[in-house]
Amino acid sequence: MGMMASKTQAAKPKVGFYGFTGCAGDLLAILHCENELLDIFNAVDVRSFLMASSEVHDDEELDISFLEGSITTDHQLESLADIRKRSKILVAIGSCACFGGPQAARLGYGDWKERFKKVYGAVKHTVAKPFESHPVDEYVKVDYHIPGCPIDRYQFFFALTRLAQGMSVELTTFPVCSECKWNENECLLLNAQLCLGPVTAGGCDSRCPSHNLPCIGCWGPAAEANVASEIDLLKERNFSSEEIVSKLRLFGGAAMVRRFADLLGIKAEEPARKPRPKKVREPIVAGKAKKRASTKKPKAKSRTKKR
Amino acid sequence: MKALKLKKEDLYTYLESLKSYGELWGPVSRGEHYSYAKLANVRDVALQALRTIIPPKKFFVPPRFNMFRYSQGTYSETFEDVRPRVLFGIHPCDIHGLMILDELFLDRFPDPYYKKRREATAILGLSCIPDDKCMARSTNTHAVEGGFDLAFNELGEKYLVWVGSSLGDDLVRLNIDLFSEEIETSDVQKYLEWRRKRDSRYKLNFDLTGMPDIMELSWDSPLWDELADRCLSCGSCSMVCPTCNCYNIRDVSDLSFTSGVRQRRWDSCMNKEYALVAGGHNFREARAERLKLYYTHKLKAFITEYGKPSCVGCGRCIDTCPVSINVAEVIRGLKGQEVKL
Ligand code: SF4
Ligand code: SF4
Ligand code: SF4
Ligand code: SF4
Repeated sequence: MGMMASKTQAAKPKVGFYGFTGCAGDLLAILHCENELLDIFNAVDVRSFLMASSEVHDDEELDISFLEGSITTDHQLESLADIRKRSKILVAIGSCACFGGPQAARLGYGDWKERFKKVYGAVKHTVAKPFESHPVDEYVKVDYHIPGCPIDRYQFFFALTRLAQGMSVELTTFPVCSECKWNENECLLLNAQLCLGPVTAGGCDSRCPSHNLPCIGCWGPAAEANVASEIDLLKERNFSSEEIVSKLRLFGGAAMVRRFADLLGIKAEEPARKPRPKKVREPIVAGKAKKRASTKKPKAKSRTKKR
Repeated sequence: MKALKLKKEDLYTYLESLKSYGELWGPVSRGEHYSYAKLANVRDVALQALRTIIPPKKFFVPPRFNMFRYSQGTYSETFEDVRPRVLFGIHPCDIHGLMILDELFLDRFPDPYYKKRREATAILGLSCIPDDKCMARSTNTHAVEGGFDLAFNELGEKYLVWVGSSLGDDLVRLNIDLFSEEIETSDVQKYLEWRRKRDSRYKLNFDLTGMPDIMELSWDSPLWDELADRCLSCGSCSMVCPTCNCYNIRDVSDLSFTSGVRQRRWDSCMNKEYALVAGGHNFREARAERLKLYYTHKLKAFITEYGKPSCVGCGRCIDTCPVSINVAEVIRGLKGQEVKL
């Protein structure tokens, strides 16, 4: 597909899709857009998408790269650094890339090596050296986070069309509850279920509560998740701390742990491998570019409000 | 205002005949709650329903809708769901809620999207006996003198039906044989008795006089921080409130980049991004400030501007907030009583 030569080709943004440790669900979610797939490949110049085409150009500069999966080996770390170097805009897609994913659910629970041994035994690493799973932004600057397990195709299209036209992307940062009300659902939390909707970023159209399933937090923390209040609330409803915390960690991974580590007096997490972030990270604002003093571009906000 | 009588047993027949005007909508059960839905079968209507999860504002400002579709420098407004509709079973508080939205969306700067939908819709009110979450008597929104086309008042075996507009008159004429004009003294007696019964059932009674002053004096009250510790900033209270009306707008481009839609969706002053402006400044960064804004709007600013609170006492915030922050608790707190969170 990358062969289609046309006059406008040169003007099209060059885009790469990459997968690290994850289930490939996000990249598949994109490939499963049967009705729009051709439009995507027409809209941008896809230079690398291993699942879609064996023709990859992995030595070129890219306008936008989309990365799925968390970083768990030294090889991945190298290739991540390489992609970052080649990409003008780097977008983490899916909960693994954004927050570490379920494979980061035990962050901070004792030594990773011991945990690894318990599961896999004393194996010798011949292909790559594995380590604790961490979200992509632990290692490199991430311009945008598109959360979800898997991502929502419309949110992806929204981001793609914005970025391809040189615009910033504002994703939903308020909690799932608001959308849950739009869908006029009875509240599961008020019905004594462990729903993480109030602390989880919306944008998923409250998919799970709309099917009568409590939110398990797969879109990661909302911009201003009041985790302390959510924990209190759930405890009042007789859920155990253990149950609550393991639910919060499962998909919220590193982003969630940072928010309640202090609260519960647990160790935040094992520090990420090199290249380490220079400064202590701020909590991820789901779906938004992280603020970095040196690289921050002024963002044009256009919000029309009715008071 | 003209009053008619309709036998209770004839209600369903009458509701069926309303379908010749347009789509018929009314409250139906949704688990233990209620929601306005299209009544394919008129017998699905939940006559016992009090508050629905979302108020009737959803018909006039849907939670999200496309304002227009644009393409290569031109645009066309879509008005996707504008069609004749009859809403049956709207309670007095919600009718007052709509009248407040009318002041905001029709008066100075008419909102075409709201206006078109409002004009295509008939409002058929229905009387109700309050439960322990209703506080409409305190907000003086427990009865209606206008704002409807027809209003049904249940009196035992019959309904007293008020005709509130010429459209209401037309709607009655769709099946005039079902109605009688003979209002007897006993009917009036029954109606007055019913009113006394309704008024006596309110469990939440607040004196709201001087609320703007009380709020002004409470500007630095520790109440706001106490509430903020608990508030999840989930926005649910705004979504379910019949008078909350804030929205956000975004353009969603097609993959061709040459066309797309402009979408409008509900927003809430409880959201952190709500008061964020260009340059990254946020006027209400702290959660406490945002809670204060919400309740200032309900209990102070609106009274100053329009002479009445913008709370119509429907009790939805009481029913909805997971951490029990609601207008009743806030009024209690502002009046120096203990707040139960
Ligand atoms: S069901 Fe969950 S997501 Fe929906 S309103 Fe309740 S707490 Fe929020
Ligand atoms: S409701 Fe929660 S678990 Fe379900 S898709 Fe949305 S964020 Fe994920
Ligand atoms: S503030 Fe609460 S009681 Fe008052 S109108 Fe809004 S939702 Fe109803
Ligand atoms: S007051 Fe309650 S419903 Fe409103 S945003 Fe806070 S937690 Fe949500």
